[in-house]
Amino acid sequence: MSPTAKVQREGEIWAVGGGKGGTGKTFLTSSLGSFLAKKGRKVVLVDMDIGGANLHSFFGIDRPQRSLTSFFEKGSSLQDILVRTDLDNLTLITGDIHSIASDTITFSQKLKLFRQILKINAQNVLIDLGAGSHLNTLDAFLIADKMVVVLVPEVIAIENMYHFIKNALFRKVKAVLKEYGFKEIVQHVWDRRQEFGIRNLKELIDHLKGSFSFIGTILDNELSRFRVALILNMVRNKQDIFLGTAVKSVLLKYLGVGIEYVGYVEYNDAVWRSVRERKPFMLNYTATAGAANIAAVGDNLLKGGEIVLPGGLG
Amino acid sequence: MNKDHAASLYAVLELAPGAGLRDVQNAYLRLRRLYADQSIVLEPLEEEFTADRRREILAEVEAAYQKLLVVLHAETPKAEALLPDDGAAGTGPDETPAMVFGGLALRKIRERLNIDLNEISRELKLRLELLRSIEEERFEALPEETYLKSHLRSYARYLGLKPEKIVEDYLGRYRARAKK
Repeated sequence: MSPTAKVQREGEIWAVGGGKGGTGKTFLTSSLGSFLAKKGRKVVLVDMDIGGANLHSFFGIDRPQRSLTSFFEKGSSLQDILVRTDLDNLTLITGDIHSIASDTITFSQKLKLFRQILKINAQNVLIDLGAGSHLNTLDAFLIADKMVVVLVPEVIAIENMYHFIKNALFRKVKAVLKEYGFKEIVQHVWDRRQEFGIRNLKELIDHLKGSFSFIGTILDNELSRFRVALILNMVRNKQDIFLGTAVKSVLLKYLGVGIEYVGYVEYNDAVWRSVRERKPFMLNYTATAGAANIAAVGDNLLKGGEIVLPGGLG
Repeated sequence: MNKDHAASLYAVLELAPGAGLRDVQNAYLRLRRLYADQSIVLEPLEEEFTADRRREILAEVEAAYQKLLVVLHAETPKAEALLPDDGAAGTGPDETPAMVFGGLALRKIRERLNIDLNEISRELKLRLELLRSIEEERFEALPEETYLKSHLRSYARYLGLKPEKIVEDYLGRYRARAKK
């Protein structure tokens, strides 16, 4: 994906990932999508949780007529397989493809999918990613204009998220240098990391920048755009909310990655009720704290803002 | 101090250049808590954030903070600049003039920063009762001046206040009372 391809598009792609399963990625994709559509924006949601696709059920759709299966198996275009929802401006590309596991998608199928996603005619395309750090998941994360991670306040989710972002960053570094014709250098330096006294990815990047000035320029330029938006889901108290600020600091020191903490969503019974009822949360639970939280997150993502927290509590 | 250098100090505290005193104090306290203790955000990265590495980070944070305090105090020489918006120092138990730091002002600043006395007691290894006596100005319960001075200094520093000013003001009140 060349950087210029992004400039020509008017719409913005947001990919929602984060590593651990069960953190609410699909719930947030569906809710943020609904929020945007209710604002009058034209929105397409893509279910990339291959093997565990269930985005459609958040819109009360049982068995979607069309899905990525026909894209992969019958050569349909994404335009052909759009599924309508109860929201006027919101359509889905469903991923009900239990016949295909993530690793059976070929490289060329993946590229074709990404090419068409980049061409979708919508103001916002939201990609719901599956759990884990599979290469297809990382690549879908990396084509996005906004890379969003969803976290819940527990240690395993935090660990998986660090791992996910680290893998995405490593993949990005390799992809960037490959694009400029320096494919071998990264792996070569990494393989000899002990010799160079490199202990982690941040030191690898610093080493690459320091050793080759042209690589330094390329990486500075490309990685300055590697910014991740963080949503903290299922928070139960003030301490939980401030975990977002702490994670931001740790990731900056650990990977040198900038994080925008775009907001949190309170733990809320209305959420599981809406999931159980298979009704879009943002249409049926508009008066809840959760809906207000999601609207605040959505606004921050649209405007490039961050959550403002009272000082001294973190 | 040149601009780049100041910007690098702000960067250590993860702030945009030009942030105010309150933001600087909050960031300092937040980072100090984050890297002083083990927590669920650091636990998964134990190998990266070793005790040594964390000490290193804390030292950087401390140094940047102390330097920024000097810069910020030079820009805002009045003691009010150290106080929360409501001018806590002006409402002392016996009509303390607005510029003087007494026990009540210290308590209000501490509360505004959301710092618990227990935390200070634990971190500075000072008795809780002593800290209470300082805030409540129970001078009879306080140790002699030399010791008090040292306690006040560490307490002031913990709140991110300029120790000299606090010690001078507080001891002024302490001595005035002792004469009576």
